[in-house]
Amino acid sequence: MIATAVGSYPKIPNRPRPARLRNAINRFDRGQVTEQELRQIEDEVTIEALQEQAEAGLDLVTDGQIRWEDEQTYLARKLTGVSLNGLLRWFDSNMYYRQPVIEGPVAWREPVTVRAYTFAAEHSAKPVKAVLTGPYTLARLSLDQHYGSVDALATAYAEALNAEAKALQQAGATLIQFNEPAIVKHKDDFPQFAGLCRRLVEGLTAETALYLYFGDVDGIYPQVLELPFALIGLDFIEGAPNEALLHRTPFTKKLGLGIVDARNTRMESVEHMAERIRTLAAGLPPDQVHVSPSAGLEFLPREVAQEKLRRMAQAVRQAEAVLV
Amino acid sequence: MTTNGSRPKGLLTTSVGSFAKPEYLQQARNQFAAGKLDGAELDRLTLQATKEIIELQMELGIDILVHGEMERGDMVAYFGEHLSGMKLGGLVRSYGNRYYHKPVIYDEVRRERPITLELWQYAQSLADRPVKGMLTGPYTIVEWSFDEHYPSRRDAVLAMAQVVRSEARDLEQAGAQYIQIDEPALSTRRDDLDLAIEAMGVVTDGLRAKTITHVCYGDFASVFPGLIEMPVTQFDLEAANSNYDLADLFKEHGFPKDKEIAWGVLDVHRHSVETLEQVKAGIKRGLEVVPPERLYIDPDCGLKTRPWDEAAAKLRVMLQAVHEVRQELGIE
Repeated sequence: MIATAVGSYPKIPNRPRPARLRNAINRFDRGQVTEQELRQIEDEVTIEALQEQAEAGLDLVTDGQIRWEDEQTYLARKLTGVSLNGLLRWFDSNMYYRQPVIEGPVAWREPVTVRAYTFAAEHSAKPVKAVLTGPYTLARLSLDQHYGSVDALATAYAEALNAEAKALQQAGATLIQFNEPAIVKHKDDFPQFAGLCRRLVEGLTAETALYLYFGDVDGIYPQVLELPFALIGLDFIEGAPNEALLHRTPFTKKLGLGIVDARNTRMESVEHMAERIRTLAAGLPPDQVHVSPSAGLEFLPREVAQEKLRRMAQAVRQAEAVLV
Repeated sequence: MTTNGSRPKGLLTTSVGSFAKPEYLQQARNQFAAGKLDGAELDRLTLQATKEIIELQMELGIDILVHGEMERGDMVAYFGEHLSGMKLGGLVRSYGNRYYHKPVIYDEVRRERPITLELWQYAQSLADRPVKGMLTGPYTIVEWSFDEHYPSRRDAVLAMAQVVRSEARDLEQAGAQYIQIDEPALSTRRDDLDLAIEAMGVVTDGLRAKTITHVCYGDFASVFPGLIEMPVTQFDLEAANSNYDLADLFKEHGFPKDKEIAWGVLDVHRHSVETLEQVKAGIKRGLEVVPPERLYIDPDCGLKTRPWDEAAAKLRVMLQAVHEVRQELGIE
């Protein structure tokens, strides 16, 4: 069984630890540090995020998306045809993102995340997975002034992300994950979604994962099992109906079990989580199960996020001991 | 300008809630947060800024005033800091390089003493016309906090509703004629509309004061028509910023006869001052929906986004436009 994360990790700790990245960005905005110095701090904070995930006991980590302003901007700003607009609320959270504006054909120009991935892989004690926002979510959260349909825009994003994924693969990424919270909010689009997923992974040989959170897959399950990903992650916190769905139709892929609430500071007990894992993963080969929080961890204060991961990793080890 | 005792028969003017904090207050708040200023001095400056903003509104000739929210940083954290069972949690990022201490509900929420009453009383004591009581709604306080205590969101929201109800009662008892209870979180979870309406019912049930809720445009359209059931007397709406599309929405679907509208006619996100003609046309769009006695005129949203001189310039145009439309209607 693999203990892992879904994507983001909080960028700054709380007092008395210094908020290095926040301070560096403030100073950079005032022209007091160079871009190179800021990148250096980002590197160092990425190493902290990698270490904290490893210390918590995760088997598979992310780079914490420390460099990402938000899950749209970081990718969109380097694509052709996209500019960035004002702030909008990100789903029903207290976080905001800059809305990408589609002014012309979307095209991939150069690697966006490869350097960060390579840096993380070189500095991590644990294997690192690459994480990207999926094409459908990018399209849903963009202001389209060019394509005229979500499907056409999402397909263009899928082509761009396919190029990015290939660049990641080239750089050595063995697992590439796409986060697609928007599709659980717009299930009617699932047929088109399936089509653009095929375009997204075309020609990829690295293992791929799709994470669906902020809701359940009722209505698109078991169809999601037909999607061309080796692993599918589900949210069992905000997607409570997922449990019954799994019970009805057995899962046939690697399963991502999002069982820790990534959006509330209430601490789950190790025993409770171990029990949840045993129940939800019953009947699946343990090596096919990736246990994680329900979503990225940036909704939480850093110390809470790490404690949640620590408990989750212990629960994974307990559950494993029973199952094996 | 309106003088006390000769209140116009319609198109009363008001503001949504917040004004920008003056530079000296913002600095004092930063110093206080860094432990370099004592609480008494911060309180003194908060009162000073409140007095100045009340005076500015009276000088401009606004009919129903707001106290400006000089004491509040964040509309949820402010209540989180003052309720027992709640505290400020660790830093969480909201966007870019901005972080805030998101409140945590860690125990049963209780109000040890009135929270907003004292400053409201102070503001009202300076004014010869009504000052609105300003509260954050129970749904929003819960939704924008971490909840480590209650078994469900519903339990938390209904418990919070009792707290907000006590606050509203105290304001009414002290003489508040208008009490505003804002629920901006509502639009983010439409599935919870019934819960938010139920909680608002707990807050407003039995109040004789007029109750108001402010809703941003996109939010209103997205929760329409269900939102119209919200048990308040008045909807305070962002109208200018969406080119008054809401008038068409109401003309098509109807607007309840027993409710009032506060109609936003100033875009608070633009530096440029609206022209008199623009604002008059906007007021007339509002009159297509409800008669002047049920139509209040105000900016789209809190004016904290604008420095005071810009806010005043915009409000002056608004007041002149209201004056001219009232004369055309023969109610002034």
